[in-house]
Amino acid sequence: MPLQDNRLLRIGIVCPYGWDTPGGVQNHIRDLAEYLIAKGHFVSVLAPVINEEKIPDYVVSAGKPIAIPYNGAVARVLFGPIAFARVRSWISSGGFDLLHLHEPAIPSISLLACWAADGPMVGTFHAAAKRQKAIFAIGPILEPVIEKLSARIAVSEAARSTLTEHLDTDAVVIPNGIYAKRYGDGKKIDEWSGNTLGFIGRFEEPRKGLAVLLEALPIIARFAPDVRVFIAGPGDSSDVIDGINPQLRSRLEFLGRISEGDKADFLASIALYIAPNTGGESFGIILAEALAGGAAVVASDIPAFESLLGEGKYGALFPSESAQELAKVVIDLLRDVEKRSELAKRGKKYAQQFDWDVVAEDIFSIYEMALVGSEGVQLASENRSWNRFLGREES
Amino acid sequence: MKSWILLLFLIIFALWYLSYSATRLDRLHHRVETSWANLDGLLQRRAAVALEISRSAIADPASSLLLTAAAHQAREAEIEVRSQAESGLSGALGLLLQDGHERYGPIENDLLRELSILTDKVRVAISLHVDAVQRTQMVRKKFVFKLFRLAGSAPLPVTYEFEADVL
Repeated sequence: MPLQDNRLLRIGIVCPYGWDTPGGVQNHIRDLAEYLIAKGHFVSVLAPVINEEKIPDYVVSAGKPIAIPYNGAVARVLFGPIAFARVRSWISSGGFDLLHLHEPAIPSISLLACWAADGPMVGTFHAAAKRQKAIFAIGPILEPVIEKLSARIAVSEAARSTLTEHLDTDAVVIPNGIYAKRYGDGKKIDEWSGNTLGFIGRFEEPRKGLAVLLEALPIIARFAPDVRVFIAGPGDSSDVIDGINPQLRSRLEFLGRISEGDKADFLASIALYIAPNTGGESFGIILAEALAGGAAVVASDIPAFESLLGEGKYGALFPSESAQELAKVVIDLLRDVEKRSELAKRGKKYAQQFDWDVVAEDIFSIYEMALVGSEGVQLASENRSWNRFLGREES
Repeated sequence: MKSWILLLFLIIFALWYLSYSATRLDRLHHRVETSWANLDGLLQRRAAVALEISRSAIADPASSLLLTAAAHQAREAEIEVRSQAESGLSGALGLLLQDGHERYGPIENDLLRELSILTDKVRVAISLHVDAVQRTQMVRKKFVFKLFRLAGSAPLPVTYEFEADVL
């Protein structure tokens, strides 16, 4: 029951990472923007873009992103005077009621927007990281900027504790969203069912932990001779295949990138979904999807997964990076069909709370709180006077 | 000659920093005000829903009396005793609803649902407000802010004590 059912807003969302590179934050923003547009709101997403021809019409390009190493991966971010000028003109010409900034603590356009704007602003913090000196050494500069946010959202408890630790401020936890219903009605496909293990993700990245699963495979195969592993996701499989025991090669199959429809069928068919990630995850959206798709989940006990799986209530956990323990858990669940289906059923019910219908309404109620007594977003006074000083009027 | 330029630069920087800090504090005070306005609005609505519940079939005459008194108290409380009054209302609602497993009609269920949605929102609003207040208090404690009296005559915001466990 929203406060004002019929109030339509002009919402500006800022995406810090390159729009056309795959990533959890980008997917989150895309789904949220499309949900809000479907509800009748006006949404404009400002994002760094590599190829400006292939973007949806609600996305505004802020320029080409720059690749920097961050949090164990390459982050495509954007900053600099030209980007800042674009951010300012986007804000002053947008006439927004509210800005929603994603990852405002990362040196990218979200931070610039937070610096440049005045008015209701909501920030969402995605990343969970151990103390990072390089990024957070600029805390004293960040703090006055971050404290302009009217409300902060963290996508998980892990992200929230990162925020309290680094920036000494609290946040409301609202999880990432999935379209749970889309995954709910996958068909069981014979080829993928039986004693099968599934893995989805960019398997070439070490932190996704495919190596742990491959190390556990010989042990699993000893106890479950007909076990097969299906790996879906973009990447070059030849390196992985070369590295493993020839006898086990026939048990592996690479499916490449699969469509959303196939993903639902895949999750409905496999016996176990394995998430051996070794770290760098903040939320684990893929686990929520796997649960919603009705797969029983086995995941490493990194903090994000542990909290998402309710300390093992909705999916089995194993000590991260331990192939032996992973094998033990997998063998146990492959043998005990009843336990497995019980786990899957519990998980599927639990995953409904990550559905966009729930998550987006929670986010929207934060918007409403941020909007109380406000007259919309405008350029911050220090930026306005700076512009006047330079003889530029941007509105 | 050089030291003159350096001094001038330092003075300009100091002035800029002071004006920047004053803006920063002004923004924080504004945040405290708006987050309070939001919380206040939600609490008012909660009191209104509590009054409706007290008149509905959910409440027996005795708890109806208790709830009505608590709701009125919460609505009319001065800001200093506000959180106490609101806690009283939470307590009264909690007493009434703790054994609420009876079957109610659709109107009563709507009321209860509205109350539970409001309660969730109040919880979030409290944490937003408390965060704003703590930030402001923290910044005002800093040396520069004290020395130059950047807070002016604005009163120091006080934390809103709310017994979240009885919500």
